[in-house]
Amino acid sequence: MVSIVRRMRKLRALLAVRLGPGAAILPPEVTRIHMDFARAVEDGHWGPRKFWRNCLPRLKYHNPAVVMTVNRTEDQLGPAVMTVHFTNTAAAKSTEPEISSTTTKQISTGPVPESKAGPITVKTETINMKHRVDSEILDQLLKLTKAKVVQPTPEETREIRDIEEQNVKSARDAALMQAENKKRRREEEILRQARGSMDTN
Amino acid sequence: MSTARPCLAQLSRICLYSTRSTPASISTRSLSTTAAVAARGANAPPMESKASKLLKKASTNPQKNKKKGAEVSKKKKKTRTAYIQYDQRDLEQFTLLEAMRYIRAFEVGQKPTSAKYEMALKFKSQKNGPVVRNRLRLPHPVKTDLRICVICPPDSKYAKDAIAAGASLVGEDDIFEAVKDGRIEFDRCLCQTDSLDKMNKAGMGRVLGPRQLMPSTKLGTVVKDPAAVLKDLIGGAEYREKLGVVRMAVGQLGFTPEEMQRNIKAFIEHVKRDLNHLSDRINKELAEVVLSSTNSPGFPLSGQFTKVDSTITPRDLSTS
Repeated sequence: MVSIVRRMRKLRALLAVRLGPGAAILPPEVTRIHMDFARAVEDGHWGPRKFWRNCLPRLKYHNPAVVMTVNRTEDQLGPAVMTVHFTNTAAAKSTEPEISSTTTKQISTGPVPESKAGPITVKTETINMKHRVDSEILDQLLKLTKAKVVQPTPEETREIRDIEEQNVKSARDAALMQAENKKRRREEEILRQARGSMDTN
Repeated sequence: MSTARPCLAQLSRICLYSTRSTPASISTRSLSTTAAVAARGANAPPMESKASKLLKKASTNPQKNKKKGAEVSKKKKKTRTAYIQYDQRDLEQFTLLEAMRYIRAFEVGQKPTSAKYEMALKFKSQKNGPVVRNRLRLPHPVKTDLRICVICPPDSKYAKDAIAAGASLVGEDDIFEAVKDGRIEFDRCLCQTDSLDKMNKAGMGRVLGPRQLMPSTKLGTVVKDPAAVLKDLIGGAEYREKLGVVRMAVGQLGFTPEEMQRNIKAFIEHVKRDLNHLSDRINKELAEVVLSSTNSPGFPLSGQFTKVDSTITPRDLSTS
């Protein structure tokens, strides 16, 4: 296995999952978020993909019980839509989230059948994601659901600052080493050529 | 020795004198090994030992002993016999629920069937010696869609049992035909003992051999009762130690924390039992337990299910 220190450094990516764009707590009425978009980025499907990659993990971290599914189609010219399922306030308090089980597992990430959807969906809202960048999609979603954005605690801000400092330092070191390696390689190359010409003579 | 030499020289002189007076006495030379040196006198060049003589001889021919000389100048690096162990104090540990929460965030939007929980168990172990390898059935199997083909007469008792046990293909000649046409619609292949000759005659080895699907007695895939083996094969999982680490898939992404807990417990207990069953001289211990998944980093587990002050319930992590 890789050394512990290196693995732990990698694990600091966790901080990025807790904080940043998309770190928000959705109200209990939201039961499901479903995204539909194409596999490739052409024709305005770039933003949805970025949203899925960048913002959705944070949303999922802060709302583990909300089901979030992504369905990527081959239809490049088709729509890119996000569907948000709401339930009413009373149902949100009484019904518990549906349990996934090994016996009746859901095979695809497509829309789930009504019977499996947990609390009854009272209304659904859609957000058009086509030709929108990820931040725009996030703004629309936050406005629609009235979600509460998570702010970093002082300790977390300190950690973020530490990481940034370290990144700056490592970038500097990397540049230094790159120059050094380049120099070394050039010298080796010159030596090799000199030796090569000697051999041929 | 250099300080002792003049003293001994004096001593020998005394002895020499004494021999003159008493010729019948025993020679002192036989008493001391250094007496020979002493006898040569104090100013004689120091005697060389056999080893140093050899060295001198060798140094006159540097070409011959070049390798030996290099070794002396450059200290030989000691090779490590055990796998390196890191300082565990640097390790940040997670409870199962925390780790699952992060992993589910990393895996959001992935297909629940393609993303899997994986577990890595690191041992404190020597580099040589036997490795841990075994197979087990997890309480909740990870891979259930294994297609298994059983070669036996289609109207026999074995065929009926095999189908009941979950084989996807049963038969003899039709399977041979299909395989020769290149239609291989299975991931494992079993053969009933009585059908072995027929199968060998059909020349399936050329097609199945390179895919490692060919049943053979050596691999334990030629069996008397396919149904019994089928049960183990379906939902069974193999693990094997590589470089001091055992890795195995322990769950599907849709598993609830309780299901994961049962699977992980079963897996670790199974491996621990294997460690105890190794011979007495070999000492292996479990050093680290890491849970990861297809698209997430690895989370070292602390062994607890949840923390007391945790805000997250197993129920939250049970949604599909």
